[in-house]
Amino acid sequence: MRRLGLRHAVGCLWHHFFFRDSTLSPHQAIQGSTERPSQLEIESSKMTDPVDSVPTSSPANAPAQPAPATETPSQQTLPIRDAKSAKPKDPAQTDKPAKGKDASASAGAEADAAAGEKPLSPAELKKKAKAEKAARRVKEKLERDGGAGAAGGSAPAPGQPRPPATPRKDAAGGGAAQKGSKALPPRRGSVVGAGAAVEQKKKKEDKSVAVFGHLYGQQRRTTIAGAGKEVHPAVLALGLQLRDYVVCGSSARCVATMLAFKRVSLIICHIYYWKVETNPPDLLRLSNPTLHQWVPRSPRHMTTHLSHQITYLSTCRPLSISQGNAIRALKLAIAGIDPSTPEAAAKATLCDFIDSFIREKITVADQVIAASAAQKIQGGDVIVTFAGSSIVKQTLLLAHNEGKQFRVSIIDSRPLFEGKNLARALANAGLDVQYSLVHGISHAIKDATKVFLGAHAMTSNGRLYSRVGTALVAMSAKERAGGVEVPVIVCCETVKFTDRVALDSIVVNEIADAAELVSANPAQQVTGLPDPAAFTAPPKGGKPAAPIPDPATSDRTPSPSPLANWKETSHLQLLNLMYDVTPAEYVDMVVTEMGSLPPSAVPIVHRMSTNM
Amino acid sequence: MASTTEGTATAGAQPFDIVATYNELLRSDPDLTMPIAAIEALVLLLTHEPSSTISETLDLLAKSTEHLKKAIANPIGLSAGTDLFQRYLITTLQRPGQLGPAGDFKAIRTHLLSNGRLFIRRAKESREKITAFGRGFIRDGCTVLTNGGSRAVASLLQKVADEEGGSFAVRFNVIYVLSSISKDIEGPSGEPEGMETVRALRAKGVPVATIPESAVAYALGKADMVIVGAEGVVENGGIVSRMGTYQIGLLAKAIGKPFYTVAESHKFVRLYPLGQYDLPIVQQVVDFKTEEDIAQQSKPQAPVDSNADRPVELPLEDSVDFTPPHLISALITDSGVLTPSAVSEELIKIWF
Repeated sequence: MRRLGLRHAVGCLWHHFFFRDSTLSPHQAIQGSTERPSQLEIESSKMTDPVDSVPTSSPANAPAQPAPATETPSQQTLPIRDAKSAKPKDPAQTDKPAKGKDASASAGAEADAAAGEKPLSPAELKKKAKAEKAARRVKEKLERDGGAGAAGGSAPAPGQPRPPATPRKDAAGGGAAQKGSKALPPRRGSVVGAGAAVEQKKKKEDKSVAVFGHLYGQQRRTTIAGAGKEVHPAVLALGLQLRDYVVCGSSARCVATMLAFKRVSLIICHIYYWKVETNPPDLLRLSNPTLHQWVPRSPRHMTTHLSHQITYLSTCRPLSISQGNAIRALKLAIAGIDPSTPEAAAKATLCDFIDSFIREKITVADQVIAASAAQKIQGGDVIVTFAGSSIVKQTLLLAHNEGKQFRVSIIDSRPLFEGKNLARALANAGLDVQYSLVHGISHAIKDATKVFLGAHAMTSNGRLYSRVGTALVAMSAKERAGGVEVPVIVCCETVKFTDRVALDSIVVNEIADAAELVSANPAQQVTGLPDPAAFTAPPKGGKPAAPIPDPATSDRTPSPSPLANWKETSHLQLLNLMYDVTPAEYVDMVVTEMGSLPPSAVPIVHRMSTNM
Repeated sequence: MASTTEGTATAGAQPFDIVATYNELLRSDPDLTMPIAAIEALVLLLTHEPSSTISETLDLLAKSTEHLKKAIANPIGLSAGTDLFQRYLITTLQRPGQLGPAGDFKAIRTHLLSNGRLFIRRAKESREKITAFGRGFIRDGCTVLTNGGSRAVASLLQKVADEEGGSFAVRFNVIYVLSSISKDIEGPSGEPEGMETVRALRAKGVPVATIPESAVAYALGKADMVIVGAEGVVENGGIVSRMGTYQIGLLAKAIGKPFYTVAESHKFVRLYPLGQYDLPIVQQVVDFKTEEDIAQQSKPQAPVDSNADRPVELPLEDSVDFTPPHLISALITDSGVLTPSAVSEELIKIWF
């Protein structure tokens, strides 16, 4: 009963927005409602589908539901159900006005075609809307499971290529919301589903862990659809790689971002100077109207253009501290370019800046850190490390190449399994490697002599912000022998230092898709087709967001995880945090390219390295 | 070795032995600390060796420093001095102007030498500053526990004692921990390190109790604070000091008494030990033996191969330990009273 009431409320809202500011003809809207029954029938006729044989009220209970890009008639039920489960979660209320406009804009053409019906008074319009709503309410009651809303009568959505994405992620549309009017296709779909949105939304809110509620902000982007056309292809690709953890790790993300921006900045320079200096002939400008969008008119536009890329990247995965620092430096460099600099010189300056930034802050810094950290490794040591840090790997390999005899114990964790890569690399190099998951930590730490950790960031109060589980390892090492004999050493480039302060892991953190915890099968990519690299390389700790679109992969799962339909299980919440904070007391030494420091010296070094 | 032979080649008749100079300097002036002796030796080296370019000078310095560090069993203290001097030279040379890279090297050289001497004088004066900062810590009626033969501690205590009868009449007691292994080299043989300070304090009317190391825990209840010296202050704010300091630190922490370290800021050394056994020195403190080993040792030994590259072993009476920063309440230095975490800040200021 209550659900119905809520649905009603949102239905009203929906209508309110849909009709209020739209130029959309009522005919269009009504047509939508008339279309609905037929599609509903299709769905109900297919209701005997074994997956969904239980007529529960929830449409999203089908596990591993494929959402194929093309919707052939034979598959019709699935897409519809998908739409049902996906769209409703849209934060409808907030986004509505914009959406209404979008819908109207795109539907404008059709509406104009049927222009004859246009002149309807607002009163009539309201009346019609009411009638239509009542009709739908009845339909929905009959349908029982709210499938009606999903049919999306008025939306030409079925024709649009829906990305093969997890419904849940797609649902929030948070990423798309940022893109303004360009995010049209998915939006439109969501609008239609709003009728059923309510209950879904309510459910989803239930599933976010209350303490971390502030971190659920926006869902990660699942597709490049809806990305602004300002976004450079290299950045588009990078965004998906970041999101799928193909590019993972603070340094790697920083480098990849800078390299992508290098390509972007080439284009920025090009267009900017073309416009300003050579004034292209009108003919050319007309023949390529999109060019207007690209042409920045002042140096400030270069940063503006860059910020489009950055916004896109941050919707794929929240930016890392290192990325943030790199971007800040890049923007500073752009601002420092004299507008009168010739094009080629400006390009060269920016590219040089990016190259030298990567070289100084990452490549050479890593070498320096590895060299000085390797000195701390002595023969007979047992080094414990957590997850897979590239700089720790470099250190251990260097120490091994120096002829030191030591053992490495890698502690890893679900769901990313970053330590597997490290274990393989070290074992291939001839080191003695022991691999265990984090629940075996008390055994692993028993014969440890040193702990080496990588960092996502070091905060200004000397705390280490790193992959979740790091704090556990550091604390276990300190607990064991009174904190003196097992030193905890952090390897961290100064580009990862931040002036933020972290007191706990709650205020600042990143929440990954909780579905990653559920999937039993090894990580796969979600977007696009299976990447060959994902199979040749050990699992990159990919993101197996719940329903994997590829039927082959879902077939591979022999038995679904008991948690598979956790979203429907009441009183069950999953939490997939990405980072935690290790108190400064548990860190003995921070090895940076500027020397070894106690954690308390982080703010000083950060100040110095940013001032220089 | 290499640098001395090279020195012979360049200087001709008079070879300059940096190690001998360093040892001689330390012997001649009992008030001289190791870093200052090292700097003074380097300044003397520069006056002896006629170098004509900047890079030659820096090269000579680097080589001599390396040689000196290898020849001395405990290079922690002196490396603080040599590093500081080298850093000072480089920053001076990098400065734009007459004395920069563009200037006349003769002028640069004389400037360097005069400044080097100024540097030494200032470093010697730093003990006065420490006394000024540290005076407030010793209050009327308090009891200070100390150990070792630190000159900084001795001068601080004596200065405070001197004021007795003056406007600041401070009456305090001293518990002096005398080591059973550390012998005073300069003093009468067989006397433990620190006896000279004990006598001086007693002469000034300060009641002094001497206790063995084994009585520290027993005696700490009567002490109000612990003040120790340091051979070197490392980057994380810990100190490298005479063997036995670490255990006093641990006991003081356990009993809850403040533990202060007195050290000149030129003793700050770019070193980051992670524990007791991570120091760049070789000392056989924990030496496992069986009866067989002892029998073997008593036999006349084959002459030890005198490989110059092998680090010199630190004799047991000179052994040191490392006191980690969390045991230290504060460091009384000539640049103020610092918390251990401020040490790295000071060091970074010097180095960058």
